[in-house]
Amino acid sequence: MTTAPPIRHRAPVVSNRRVAADTWWLELDSPGIAAASRAGQFVMIGYGIENTAPPFLPRPFSVGWRAADGRVGILLRAFGEGTTRMARLRPGEDVLLLGPLGRPFELGRDRPIVCVAGGVGLAPFLFLADEARTAGREVRLLYGERTGDRVFDPELLASLAGGPAEVWTEDGAVGRRGLVLEGIDWSADPVLLGCGPSLMLRALAESAAERGVALQVSVEEHMGCGVGTCQGCVVPRADGGWARACTDGPVFEASELAWSP
Amino acid sequence: MVPVSAVGAGGGSARSRSDAPARCLAQTLFGVEFQSPVLLASGTCGYGREYDDLIPLDRIGGLVTKAVSVEPRAGNPPHRIAETPAGMINAIGLHNVGLDRFISEKLPWLRDNLERARVFVNVVGRTVEDYAEVVSRLDGEEGFLGYEINVSCPNVKGGTMFGTDEAALAELVGRLRTCTERPIIVKLTPNVPDIGVFARLCEEAGADGLSAINTFPGMLIDVDRRRPVIGNVSGGVSGPAILPMGVYLTWRASRASSLPIMGIGGIRSARDALQYILAGASLVQIGTALFVDPSCAEGVHHGLEGYLERHAIASVAELVGALELPAPPPPDDGASG
Repeated sequence: MTTAPPIRHRAPVVSNRRVAADTWWLELDSPGIAAASRAGQFVMIGYGIENTAPPFLPRPFSVGWRAADGRVGILLRAFGEGTTRMARLRPGEDVLLLGPLGRPFELGRDRPIVCVAGGVGLAPFLFLADEARTAGREVRLLYGERTGDRVFDPELLASLAGGPAEVWTEDGAVGRRGLVLEGIDWSADPVLLGCGPSLMLRALAESAAERGVALQVSVEEHMGCGVGTCQGCVVPRADGGWARACTDGPVFEASELAWSP
Repeated sequence: MVPVSAVGAGGGSARSRSDAPARCLAQTLFGVEFQSPVLLASGTCGYGREYDDLIPLDRIGGLVTKAVSVEPRAGNPPHRIAETPAGMINAIGLHNVGLDRFISEKLPWLRDNLERARVFVNVVGRTVEDYAEVVSRLDGEEGFLGYEINVSCPNVKGGTMFGTDEAALAELVGRLRTCTERPIIVKLTPNVPDIGVFARLCEEAGADGLSAINTFPGMLIDVDRRRPVIGNVSGGVSGPAILPMGVYLTWRASRASSLPIMGIGGIRSARDALQYILAGASLVQIGTALFVDPSCAEGVHHGLEGYLERHAIASVAELVGALELPAPPPPDDGASG
């Protein structure tokens, strides 16, 4: 858990470029959040109190990457009105940023790290892979998309993550055809991390449980406040009841959560 | 903890650099002074502590806690919230830690950390005796001023029963009056044909004040999946979208009863707060806007100060209910239709 209070400020847009179909890489100038973030944590991005158009509520995004010069990278996909507007953010504009928030991934020591990413679940692993590789850790980044046109620009991905990803697509247009889970080498005793759509995370959690392999997952849920007050972003706990994605997570041990449909 | 003065010059003792007279934002109600008319609404500020890093809680008027019931409540399945046009819909389902843990874990922090901000405990129950048990067992504790009685949650079975049934509400308020001498504020539902009837009956049954209003029942449908977006199917709508309804219902309630009112619904600026105050609210509560910007409550406070300054008004109390109505139109010039 982070103990420092979150930082809230207006963060200027440094750049926002299209990196795949419906997909943008947004860089914001936020030195405080860049310095304080740990992989798996998130920020709330909002348009401020005068705004009533979508996105009216701030939206949670993984800290995708950070630079020594204070830039914070955000991976966003245009799903609806709010994210479509965010995809049009340009230098000269700014957003209201709150973070870093939530519980990060725990990487342990020495063992190889395997990141399993689905879609924009790629985000937290860019930053994680880069820094873990720099620290001398062996990192495999398995990255799946439904279609090839949605695969993140491979050159930019490799430069952000400190190396390439192993890409899987369901249509086979880019990388290997199939599901990203097929790429996991279960014999390697990895530090296994997952982030992506709930169906993918459920399949990953079931596979890990069958093999007795520990798994950390980063989950997503509609969020209100981002700081634990509104109880809006709950996910089901394995022992019954609910956990808040924002402050109890977003990273959980998969065994802490209930995965039945 | 070092006592701090009210935000800006609103405490009455500080003076602005220009030596202009201080504009008074303090309000005296329920036998105590509120250093600011701006409070945080139930359900949007947890038990206070969650916002300690982001909001200078002891410099605002106060806060209303998350609802407290006798037993802990797990709440509703996700999605519990979703965005709506200029607002949001929620069906949290009164997820709360229950009375025992509220007393042992939540109330001590409020007692030890808030000296000037006034705390109301939002109380909820399924039966009159549920409510009475929460109030009776809390009453000897320290760390709060009074109770906001939640008779209007749209997100639990029977949650609006008391709020929409005149006899049941009168019985509930009357029973709670026998349990405490602390202020009892009833949070009214907008979901009634005439809110004035309910405002009046709360006064007659012994309530000390009203909160107007709770969320409007609503529903959001995912047309691709043909399913409700909210796990509970329906929920309560809040945010700027409901501001005009809240102002109207506050005005109606204030004309029907002499009780002080906490105005709530869609407030995110001083101009919004002033609409409620002119309509008859003595205090206002900020809710959904806190999610958009946690500094909103301070912003509203400073904006009210600026308004008093610009209009050379000494105290916000002068504005309560100061709405000026136009002369009634001639009989054949009706505005409806």
